[in-house]
Amino acid sequence: MKIDLPASLRDKCRWYDVIGLSGRSVPVSFRNNRLYSIAERESGGLGVRVNVGGRVGLSFTGTGENLEAAMRRAIEIAAYGEVENHRLPPESDTPAVDLDAGRLEEADIAPVLSAAEETIARILASFPEARIDMSISYGSGERHIVNSEGFEGSYRHSSFGAGITATMVSAGGVRLSVSEGVSSCAPVSYEAALERLLWKLERARNICRPPGGSIPVICTPKAFASLLGIVASGLSARSVFKGISPFAGKLGQRVFSEHFTLADDPLVDGSVYSYPFDDEGVPARTKKVIDRGEITEWISNLKYASRLGVRPSGNGSRGHSSLPEPSFSNLTVDGGNDDFDSLCAGVRSGVLVDQFIGLGQSNTLTGEFKANLDLAYAIENGEITGRVKDCMLSGNLFNLLAGDPVLSRERVRYGASLAPFVLFPAIHLTC
Amino acid sequence: MTIDAIPGELLLHLQSVINSLPCDYAEARVALNESTMIALSGEEVDSISSGDSCGGSIRIFNRGAWSFGSFNDLSGIPARARALLRRSAMLAGSAPGVFRSKPVVAHFATRPARPCGSVSFDEKFSLMLGYNGILKKPALVQTTRSMYRDSGTVMLYCNTEGSAVTYERSFCGVSFTAIAKDGTLIQPFSESAAGYGGFELAQGREDMAEGATRMAVDLLHAEPVSGGVYDVVIDPHLAGVFIHEAFGHLSEADFIYENERMMEQMANGRRVGCDALCIIDDGSIEGLTGYIPIDDEGITPGPAHLVKNGVIRAHLHSRETAYRMDEEPTGNARAISSTAQPIVRMTNTYVANGPNSLDEMLAAAEGGLYVADALGGQTNLEMFTFSAGYGRLIKNGRPGRLFRDVMLSGNTFQTLANIGMIGNDRAMFGGLGGCGKKGQAPLPVSFGGPHLLVKNVLIGGKGR
Repeated sequence: MKIDLPASLRDKCRWYDVIGLSGRSVPVSFRNNRLYSIAERESGGLGVRVNVGGRVGLSFTGTGENLEAAMRRAIEIAAYGEVENHRLPPESDTPAVDLDAGRLEEADIAPVLSAAEETIARILASFPEARIDMSISYGSGERHIVNSEGFEGSYRHSSFGAGITATMVSAGGVRLSVSEGVSSCAPVSYEAALERLLWKLERARNICRPPGGSIPVICTPKAFASLLGIVASGLSARSVFKGISPFAGKLGQRVFSEHFTLADDPLVDGSVYSYPFDDEGVPARTKKVIDRGEITEWISNLKYASRLGVRPSGNGSRGHSSLPEPSFSNLTVDGGNDDFDSLCAGVRSGVLVDQFIGLGQSNTLTGEFKANLDLAYAIENGEITGRVKDCMLSGNLFNLLAGDPVLSRERVRYGASLAPFVLFPAIHLTC
Repeated sequence: MTIDAIPGELLLHLQSVINSLPCDYAEARVALNESTMIALSGEEVDSISSGDSCGGSIRIFNRGAWSFGSFNDLSGIPARARALLRRSAMLAGSAPGVFRSKPVVAHFATRPARPCGSVSFDEKFSLMLGYNGILKKPALVQTTRSMYRDSGTVMLYCNTEGSAVTYERSFCGVSFTAIAKDGTLIQPFSESAAGYGGFELAQGREDMAEGATRMAVDLLHAEPVSGGVYDVVIDPHLAGVFIHEAFGHLSEADFIYENERMMEQMANGRRVGCDALCIIDDGSIEGLTGYIPIDDEGITPGPAHLVKNGVIRAHLHSRETAYRMDEEPTGNARAISSTAQPIVRMTNTYVANGPNSLDEMLAAAEGGLYVADALGGQTNLEMFTFSAGYGRLIKNGRPGRLFRDVMLSGNTFQTLANIGMIGNDRAMFGGLGGCGKKGQAPLPVSFGGPHLLVKNVLIGGKGR
């Protein structure tokens, strides 16, 4: 991609940068156990951000021909924009990370289809009444960033992702729906995801009465990953600066249990959430944000790092039509010493939670959460005895993580999160 | 090609491309868009932008399977269409066919009183500065988010049945969030309004901003509600969210067909509620956020009476699901953009007015909760959860003491059956947000109803 801007416009700016995104992918969907559709998707666009007299404006366009007009628009509206006194990064060495497995969208589709058919057949062999949906998408693209300070970088990235959902509705209208997924920069086997899915379906055949009140709760890595989103939003430099993070003013303090360590790692080879530099051209680096319970760094873009007077963390994230915002890359939670079986063995009467509904609807800024249990299991005397449903879990995640959480040795990657199982000794369950 | 492209010529080009494809059915969509966004937050300008985009897609139905290709470069459409056709020849899918319809040849346009394109950026910005000033006025308001968005889109649609449609659509709206804070307590509250029209839709919203900021501060000092089972009176806004989340999604035929159990649950003729219960989805209502003159498969929408006098009478359909279930299409195939595939979606969904007054319902729910406004909702088709903006304890037939963090959850059919009274004061709601399904969000929809009395609703929280 060539980015060429006239000097007459460049000269009006204190600084500017241009981001160009392009990508092609092939989404394939299976519905109700059969192939339903194959698509080809093309996407892309350019965004131009300018700083005129200290104030920032943004414009974007779908096509390269309009870039000049977009820059003119950005300069016009910059007069209304926010004052941003930070600089853009100069030319620099950026770290290496393995993201490119080639133009996957051009790969032969036949093995993709047969792997999906085989997966569906494996589920149906154990659960003939299941309806299986699969979404698979594979492709590649490019990100290109150029700025007025001499930074110019681009990288290619490929992606392969699959989601499998098996649904069963019983005669009484009870619905069981279990989802699993994988993602990587290169085509991957569904084996591990399939095993987890079968494990979860098998144990949900029978419905039991949930134990009520304040009980021990184990979250699967998938459930824990969804809870981590609540912690992550409080660690954003944006919410800290705005004063809506409960962690504001607590940098360097121990806020959580010493068993809880959380890192942001954009340099995981093969992850679709990795990058060599962020969307502002800041080189990527791996960092702990919570180290044995202590908050060690905020996740920031250039704007909020400058506002808070901290070193930019290299987490500016944007599409072509929006300004950069701080955003996590890969979240990794350190595992503990015990394995999942021994976590379970210690529970006399509790639940294992895998999927929530309605988690994001609570006032999560304070760590409060309430959610119905979409998929959860009763644990009696260390054994999983069946599925529990129609009850709501409520608590304060920050207090739970500050208490005595027990983390498992095993960890599983879900989307951007690599997380262990976690046992919370007591959470309130309303039935 | 850019937004200056001549829509009529482009449409003829698309028609000639799809008509050259030997297949069972094909359609093409293209959209040319210009938009402006302003987001203010506390003392800061969070983001301002203005830009253009163009894109489109072709969809082919052949041998029982769909092939779909999207593009953002309008120059190579014929080659793309041929590649798609080659791919579709490799497929043999499971869809028995698609519903055929009469061609629609029409031009539609929204009628903005003040077209957004003719309003200066300065005026848009000043309006938002004013609203943001109202939001941040109370001392306990920690920060705010005031958002303005407008977009002008020329949409083109054609299919191999001979339909050729252009739609000039202008959309404009605002949303307000106030986040109040006192010590460790943090309480957000949001309001939004949007629709098809011009800048006038964003103007005159001072009361809405005032209401949002006042409620955030009031809720800060409210207690969280105790968990348990309550009789509740839900306000028209929450009634709309409930009917959208809990029943609307169940009525989407792509969730129903080929699943015998779901077919039984959602069979026409099944009683799901009291005689007064009528649930309607209607994309043809101009002025509401879910309005579409035509759906993304070229079908003209009309009122679909999902539930009439307590009994299921219809489902929401695309061409494919209508064919499969041997029912009439309802014009509910919608795509989030011209580069996304149409799927079965709602439009304007509501509970029709019933016989009861609010006073009657409050009297019948003594000791229960009056719950109002909605932070959001989610369903897995059997169970739903939705969060009310706030709740009030009903005492002596009046909503009294304020509570925060009210989340309602339950089984959909049980809850529908538990609707004991239906009010006569329906109102409709929509805004800058919208509905999400299969990764396509936020799709503009509206929802509403009158006040409803629902018995035995599970509310999450520590026991009362």
